[in-house]
Amino acid sequence: MSHETPPTPGLVSSLVRGYMPFVVAVGVAIVMQVVVRPNVDPYPAKLLLDIGINCILAVSLTMVNGFTGQFSMGHAGFMAVGGYASGAITYYTSMRVWGAGEARGGVLSGMLGGEGLPWLTVGDGLFLFSLIVGGVVAAGLGYLVGLPSLRLKGDYLAIVTLGFGEIVRVVIQQTSPVLTSAEEVRQATILQLPTHVGGSLGFSGIPYYTGLFWVYLGVCVTLIVAFRLKTSTFGRAFLSIRNDEIAAEAMGVNTTRYKVWAFVIAAFFAGIAGGLFSHTLGVGLSPEAAGFLRSFDVIIMVVLGGLGSISGAVAAAIIVTLLPEWLRGVAEYRMIIYALALILIMIFRPKGLFGVREVWDRATWAWLSRRKSGTGARGGARE
Amino acid sequence: MSEAILQARGVSKSFGGLRAVSEFSLSLPARGLHGLIGPNGAGKTTVFNLLTGVYHPSEGEISLAGESLLGLKPHKRAAAGLARTFQNIRLFAELSVLDNVRIACHLRTTHSMGSAILRLPKHRREERAIVRRSMELLEVFDLAGRASEDARNLPYGDQRRLEIARALATEPKCLLLDEPAAGMNPQEKVDLRKLIHQIRERFGVAILLIEHDMGVVMNLCERITVLNFGQTIAAGTPEHVQSDPKVIEAYLGTE
Repeated sequence: MSHETPPTPGLVSSLVRGYMPFVVAVGVAIVMQVVVRPNVDPYPAKLLLDIGINCILAVSLTMVNGFTGQFSMGHAGFMAVGGYASGAITYYTSMRVWGAGEARGGVLSGMLGGEGLPWLTVGDGLFLFSLIVGGVVAAGLGYLVGLPSLRLKGDYLAIVTLGFGEIVRVVIQQTSPVLTSAEEVRQATILQLPTHVGGSLGFSGIPYYTGLFWVYLGVCVTLIVAFRLKTSTFGRAFLSIRNDEIAAEAMGVNTTRYKVWAFVIAAFFAGIAGGLFSHTLGVGLSPEAAGFLRSFDVIIMVVLGGLGSISGAVAAAIIVTLLPEWLRGVAEYRMIIYALALILIMIFRPKGLFGVREVWDRATWAWLSRRKSGTGARGGARE
Repeated sequence: MSEAILQARGVSKSFGGLRAVSEFSLSLPARGLHGLIGPNGAGKTTVFNLLTGVYHPSEGEISLAGESLLGLKPHKRAAAGLARTFQNIRLFAELSVLDNVRIACHLRTTHSMGSAILRLPKHRREERAIVRRSMELLEVFDLAGRASEDARNLPYGDQRRLEIARALATEPKCLLLDEPAAGMNPQEKVDLRKLIHQIRERFGVAILLIEHDMGVVMNLCERITVLNFGQTIAAGTPEHVQSDPKVIEAYLGTE
């Protein structure tokens, strides 16, 4: 068998191919905001927003729990840190500069979409900046939490990351009340401001910048990065650690470095998701955002979708967000049915919906034809 | 004889009070074929783990192509040119045959993670080179037809060969094979002997192998080291080792 060498693409065309998905991402996000949002009711629009944020969380956690096979249970901690950091930046900057905390976004911001506004404003710039800073702060913490992962495995790492989430929650609870008058904000020093994020009462007053544009821009960028990592030599290095760490190390994979990298990248996107979450209309950012219940939600999505499957994480994020809504009609039994559905899926698809694969991989659907032809008898031959 | 590629001098390792390996020495020339034999529990795999950096020796010196390996982690030793297979096969079971080999190509890549995320030309070029090289290796091992299958679905003999292919993908100077013939039938053992010769000719690597099968070891290896209870009880050519009374005693016992 000979391997024909494809013609080497020119610099321009390969740059276009490299950046094109990001351009498409912006296009998709604009469509979500300008076309979809005005044509659906506020309630489904809010669900779309929740789905988007959950997608970012699930896909980012997939990089840690799925790709490298480390069991992190503190993902909400990164989210909360990102949410508080970016919320504090937009709120206090707005108070200092404009004397008021409300959003000053353009058409692409918020859930309402104003008439006659410019597409993007200075306020949007501030929001984007705060999101990135929130992501970077969370990534920094991801580095610190990733370090013990070098020595700890399995359950022990799970406990450490669980503890991390709780530490974040308790630390946030100890903070001082939010400064609500422009006078107070101007008098406080830059170093004092981050301590005034509301304590256990929650951080209220954060401007509502989050809309479908920003959320789906975040979703698309997260997806592009996750897919490109997974299908690159780095993604294979991540997956090798999950499969067999000793063999990965012996084959020259710097397992230490990549385990920490997985934490850092995942924490960055969780921080962005937190920033999007904290700037959403009708969401009270409270220390509970860092709680383990929130982390469990994300873990459920990742496990349900299949550890390591990006499209699985997306599908599971959609299901887990919508299932409780669909079941609203049978309110009393809602949580029972929800739990039952999860248990059944795990019994019949113990590796999650798609395993480590993606929806479009043919092998993902092999079990269907196997079931048809072998009536379950060959199911055992899969081992 | 040419310069030694892999050299170990007076390497010892104790686990608590147990001296698992004592004063182990080895000088493996370029393209050499060296066997490491001994009864169960003699410390052969411990020697492998010491050489590849899974354990660090209590005493002694290990060097590859003149560079000391002491204190280096396994992945750095792989980068230095030391590759291995495992006694109990350790493939990346859930990944495809091709991916198993591609992962081993990772350490020779030079582009950054950012370059992979932005799909910069350098990333594309290196990814193409990885696929080309991996498929070449799979063809040598007659596995190219199964490139897209999951590694765990391969028959046992293919898994053993895939592990060798994967080790070679790291572009080693020296290859350590831990019981490559384990679980093989007589015909497969004959094929394996041919294959190991081929590997040495084609890839120019030095090979150190642990093996229980005397037929394989005696026919294949130029020199043999015999371990028992962590001690080197004999070293030399196959003929020399076979007639050594200590070796006979270790294997057959005395009256």
